[in-house]
Amino acid sequence: MNAPERSAAFILDDDEEKIEYAADTKVSNAGTFTLNKEDHTMSNLLRMQLLRDPQVKFAGYMHPHPLVHKIHLKIQTTTSQVAPAETLSAAIEDLSNETDHLITQVTDAIEKWKRENDTGMMGM
Amino acid sequence: MPQQRFPKIEILQIAPHYIQFILSETDTSMANALRRIMIAEVPTLAIDLVEYAENSSVLNDEYIAHRLGLIPIRFMAEGSLKGGDCHTAFLPHQECVCYDRCPRCSVEFELDVNFDKYNQTRPEQERDLSLTVTSRNLISNNMLVSPAHFLNEEEQDESHDEGISIVKLGPGQHLKLKAIARMGISKEHAKWCPVAVATYRFWPEITINQEACSMLTLEQKQELVEACPDRILELDEITGNLVAVENAYEMATFTEDLKVAQNAMKKRPEDDDFVKVVQSQDRFVFSVESTGAMDAEEILMSSLRVLKDKLNYLAAEVEKLKD
Repeated sequence: MNAPERSAAFILDDDEEKIEYAADTKVSNAGTFTLNKEDHTMSNLLRMQLLRDPQVKFAGYMHPHPLVHKIHLKIQTTTSQVAPAETLSAAIEDLSNETDHLITQVTDAIEKWKRENDTGMMGM
Repeated sequence: MPQQRFPKIEILQIAPHYIQFILSETDTSMANALRRIMIAEVPTLAIDLVEYAENSSVLNDEYIAHRLGLIPIRFMAEGSLKGGDCHTAFLPHQECVCYDRCPRCSVEFELDVNFDKYNQTRPEQERDLSLTVTSRNLISNNMLVSPAHFLNEEEQDESHDEGISIVKLGPGQHLKLKAIARMGISKEHAKWCPVAVATYRFWPEITINQEACSMLTLEQKQELVEACPDRILELDEITGNLVAVENAYEMATFTEDLKVAQNAMKKRPEDDDFVKVVQSQDRFVFSVESTGAMDAEEILMSSLRVLKDKLNYLAAEVEKLKD
């Protein structure tokens, strides 16, 4: 009766922003991003990419509850010159480029495989 | 400072319903993101609404609606013979501006099977048998969309199967309904999941210390070969050296048996290992098997597109946040 809509796992509520940011009150150069309607898929990817950045001192995420479709992503940078949002942008851009690279890789690899294994079965 | 990686892909096998490939020079976060997207976020079509005109079968309406929902629905782009990505042709129903439904966000299937009417067309000796209503009785209003019965004509010819069974009808029974398929993702319901299997395993890195192995007798080497329950080692017939079998990656389960067996053979416990098998941290063997809704290679392409879209969306949102 009071079950939430299944689509609440991936469609933003009317009054919801995709990303919210709260600077840390106790730690300098640090803050927590709240990614609404995200799960381990993107957050683990972002965390691992952030950890490869030498300007990032700390990056970690938390999924507060399986029924709460939010992720808290905490980032601390090494200097005050770089804001946590900057490093997050950079991480997303790197991943985006990596995905582009993967798309061409996959397209080429499938084409190559079909050329080498042309059995006429593929209906080409 | 960019920290971009340049992953590589090698295809091991492609069939319409199955793809196996190696993803390398990236880490588990990328492999896992791809796996999770293939399972939960690649959009497909599935029957989501059913309107009954008549149902006098033994199963109730809800039961039949559930069965209809689980039938894989294939979208084949114009001129293509592959079950493809339906996101270019359809809108998710939540996003469509139409009042209830329209061809842009839904596909209608008609089903009308009347036992008595059908029985008249059957030969005399078959008239006592019940009639199975299958996915083949679903008539689509969109040429590009149909229930996935078989992956190709060859399979269809060889099979005695008449499609996916829905319900059996007896004398006097009649089933008439309209089923509406919509695009969705399996985060909402598993019926939208395009994959039956989407897994990856770690590539086994097998290092054989030939120098240390030269201390072993042929019998001891044979003992090592047999110690491994996955049979990832063999003896080279000519040189008598230990070598890894060619398809070790399909079999390796990283058991401790080899470790135990070779520790017993060492003269001193601190001696070098003869054989080391470790999980590679940057090389993954993916296996993806389709339900029939899409071709396996299309699922892979679609998952990458979804990942790209999600990243673009996040990038735009972070930019908004910065201003």
